[in-house]
Amino acid sequence: MSRWSVNVPTWTPVAVADTTNFTDAGHMSLQGGSTTQRINVIEVYMGGQAGASSPTIMLLARHSTVGVTLSVGRLAALDPATAALAAPMVVFNTSTTKPQRSATLSLLNLSFNAFGGIVRWVYSPGEEVGLLGSTASLGELGLSAFTGGTPGLMGSHMIIEPF
Amino acid sequence: MQTKRRHEGYVLIDNRESPGVTPSFVQQSGQKGQSVPAVGEGKVLEASTITCAHCQRGVILNPQRSHDREWCSKCDHYLCDNCGLIKKVDGQCRNLNQLFDRLQERAMHVRS
Repeated sequence: MSRWSVNVPTWTPVAVADTTNFTDAGHMSLQGGSTTQRINVIEVYMGGQAGASSPTIMLLARHSTVGVTLSVGRLAALDPATAALAAPMVVFNTSTTKPQRSATLSLLNLSFNAFGGIVRWVYSPGEEVGLLGSTASLGELGLSAFTGGTPGLMGSHMIIEPF
Repeated sequence: MQTKRRHEGYVLIDNRESPGVTPSFVQQSGQKGQSVPAVGEGKVLEASTITCAHCQRGVILNPQRSHDREWCSKCDHYLCDNCGLIKKVDGQCRNLNQLFDRLQERAMHVRS
């Protein structure tokens, strides 16, 4: 299938504990577009944009509660010849029912300093993190800040492949 | 010929223009046994990574590690230490991608 970029150009994470409602605009989440859609996450990137030192505890984690009524974010195919998806996956940071990070299913700890720090994680082919469906706990994941630190302004993207 | 290195991903932590993070901050951020290297001001870390085939957690490979990485010979993939221990206890392969395959196929059959 084709690869897509989901991204939030600039946002400030809001630190929350596990299994606690996220704050709108304080996370970057990805939810499958249908009950059977499979998505592989190929790359995760975070670039710091803060104006002062901001050590930030960022986690890529599955969500034990998924967002409902999502405000759709940026989704772009990497190849211009990519056909539109019947059920596109959704990147979002605003919803009516707020997602919650699982207490046990954190996948990456990407602590970094949002004052100019850059983190890029690239999965090897065949070793990607997968999503299945659109329900908890395998159908949604996201970047969010764990409690502690001083989260700062940043931009982030994920390269994903649905199939 | 295929080698185990084909399973390795890549991580870049670039603090050339950043104060970076301190070791104490990184310790504070440790989550359920996960840890990340402390990359200080002006430093860059590029390292190989693996993904545990059973829980899909990412692991940054430590070149100083003296004991073997856990490996599942049933699904032919690396495991994290936690999943490696569980597999040693019960001998079962819990490859998450294979579970996804089964669940997806079952869901398709239910829909058709």
